[in-house]
Amino acid sequence: MAIVVAENLKKSYRLGKNNFVHALQGASLAIEPGEFVAIMGPSGSGKSTLLHMLGCLDDPDNGRVFLSGREVTKLRPSELTRIRARELGFIFQGFNLIPALTAIENVMLAAEYAGVNGRAKSERAEKMLDRVGLSERVRHLPSELSGGEQQRVAIARALVNEPAIILADEPTGDLDSTTSAEIIGIMRDLNRAMGRTFILVTHDHEVGSKCDRIIRMRDGVVDEAAG
Amino acid sequence: MRVLRNVFRRKLRSSLTIFGITIGVFALVVMGAMAEKINLLIDGGTKYYGDKVMVAEATAGNFSVRPLSLKKVEEIREVKGVADAFPQVYMMLDPEQNMSFGMPKMLVSGDLKANKYEEKKWKIGYVAGRKLKDGDIGKSVVGADLVKDLNAKVGKKIKVRGKEFEVVGIMEKTLTAPDSTVSILLPDAQDLFVKSLPVALQKTVKKEDLITSIVVYPKPGEDPGVLAKRINKEVKEVKATGPAEFRKQTGQAMVIFNTIIFGIGAISLLVGGLSVINTMMMSVSERTREIGIKKAIGASNRRIIREFLGEAATIGGIGGLLGLSLGWAFVQAVNSATAGTGTVVFLVTGRLAIGATLFAIALGAFAGLYPAWHAARLNPVKALRYE
Ligand SMILES: Nc1ncnc2c1ncn2[C@@H]1O[C@H](COP(=O)(O)OP(=O)(O)O)[C@@H](O)[C@H]1O
Ligand SMILES: [Mg+2]
Repeated sequence: MAIVVAENLKKSYRLGKNNFVHALQGASLAIEPGEFVAIMGPSGSGKSTLLHMLGCLDDPDNGRVFLSGREVTKLRPSELTRIRARELGFIFQGFNLIPALTAIENVMLAAEYAGVNGRAKSERAEKMLDRVGLSERVRHLPSELSGGEQQRVAIARALVNEPAIILADEPTGDLDSTTSAEIIGIMRDLNRAMGRTFILVTHDHEVGSKCDRIIRMRDGVVDEAAG
Repeated sequence: MRVLRNVFRRKLRSSLTIFGITIGVFALVVMGAMAEKINLLIDGGTKYYGDKVMVAEATAGNFSVRPLSLKKVEEIREVKGVADAFPQVYMMLDPEQNMSFGMPKMLVSGDLKANKYEEKKWKIGYVAGRKLKDGDIGKSVVGADLVKDLNAKVGKKIKVRGKEFEVVGIMEKTLTAPDSTVSILLPDAQDLFVKSLPVALQKTVKKEDLITSIVVYPKPGEDPGVLAKRINKEVKEVKATGPAEFRKQTGQAMVIFNTIIFGIGAISLLVGGLSVINTMMMSVSERTREIGIKKAIGASNRRIIREFLGEAATIGGIGGLLGLSLGWAFVQAVNSATAGTGTVVFLVTGRLAIGATLFAIALGAFAGLYPAWHAARLNPVKALRYE
């Protein structure tokens, strides 16, 4: 059974009095557990909006989202907060970390939100940073890390609570192609080793080519023909 | 500490806000220290005046002295409920004295027999020398706060209202009226009092008959307030005041003083609070994307609120502690500078120190409420798109 399902999602934003942007116009998809999927498409086609809906950050005007068989579009905000903390991991493009916190503190923050405290929190954070190859620089602030290192911290942070689903919005958008390949490599390894489901929004065909499947979007809908 | 790191992300801005609170709390501590000192004086005064009735001439004011006839003492002794009544001459130590801070400096002559009533309440101790005895004409006892002022030493002479008196004793501190009082015997005081009257009047009065006030001690179980009313009714040309009156007068003074302190508190609350709101709003807006990320990775609204409230309270707390330290240092400096005149103006009590600090923390947190609520309410998607 699919772990992530979106059914006919619609979302419009109001810009002016009679001026609406239809960001999603009936997008549907289904993703199996353990899949490593890319969502690709032109800028403005609704990729980020779709990812936010899957990540329980925004609710659609129409349509339903199911995570692990549960309809999350029906849940209360506090339940969604809990799901974001414990069952989902987020990675964003660029400025992704809390600038006042060191690498390990950034990772521990996510653990804290999931209710992990004390020694377990720092042990898990250290273990995760080690897995993404950053055990040397755990006490550095984001400003003291390179772009690739920052994204490794973001990956460690997304994975520290061992969520079933990891959502990434252009995680390699700010990186050069070598670093980008490294970061995708790390995610792919974690996907294989831990069996987590990854959904990444990307522009980069290199990245797309390393995924199990590419979901293409155009004008707020999933372009079935191109899939 | 994460909170401190966040507060000092913008060093100048946070420091200025903290400084604003520091000034407010400084003012609060200094004024509060003055109030605490006055409270202490009033507590002492309540004890001093608490069980007796003071009788003066009917038209005399608080500190304006009018002559009263010694005959009134006998009349008052006849009133029901009076245990005893003693004549007294009571005047400013220095006729040109301005109303200064704290207790006015007074010259008092009491009947030595009244001491047996006073000694039931206090153990009046002597730092040096002894108390006045019968026949101590030309001799005096000096209160603790006046020692430096008059340069008093046992065996040496002091000059009071143009006349010299030998010091035979120096009293311990009582924290009330006796501290700022020179005591002499009644005949000496009557002498000085007559001289203070207009020359024309001096010839017409009989010195031995002239007093300014009468101290009345009620019988055990007799309420001094009730007794004062009875004296006012039964004895003509006098005004008797019980302890309630003293409490009322000082109460009024305290209301004014508390209003000033409350005003300063309110102003510092306004200025400090507004500046905390401003600082926190700026920091919320600068950290919009950060708040979006935090919410995305699972921060609850309550956590976001707590985070910003904590920062606001920390700003308040640091400002409070700095203001307290500065205020305390200032009070120490002024107290040691004025120690020479015997007037200790300020008293920083534990409750004042703790109160001022808690006030600053609460102020910070209160001012942080809106910014924190605003931060928690941010739409995560919009916050994430914010550049
Ligand atoms: N909060 C918003 N307010 C107004 N328009 C928005 C908002 N979010 C997204 N949009 C618009 O919706 C469309 C889809 O945006 P998005 O999902 O970010 O596309 P993508 O990620 O594929 O580039 C765009 O035209 C964008 O301008
Ligand atoms: Mg996008």
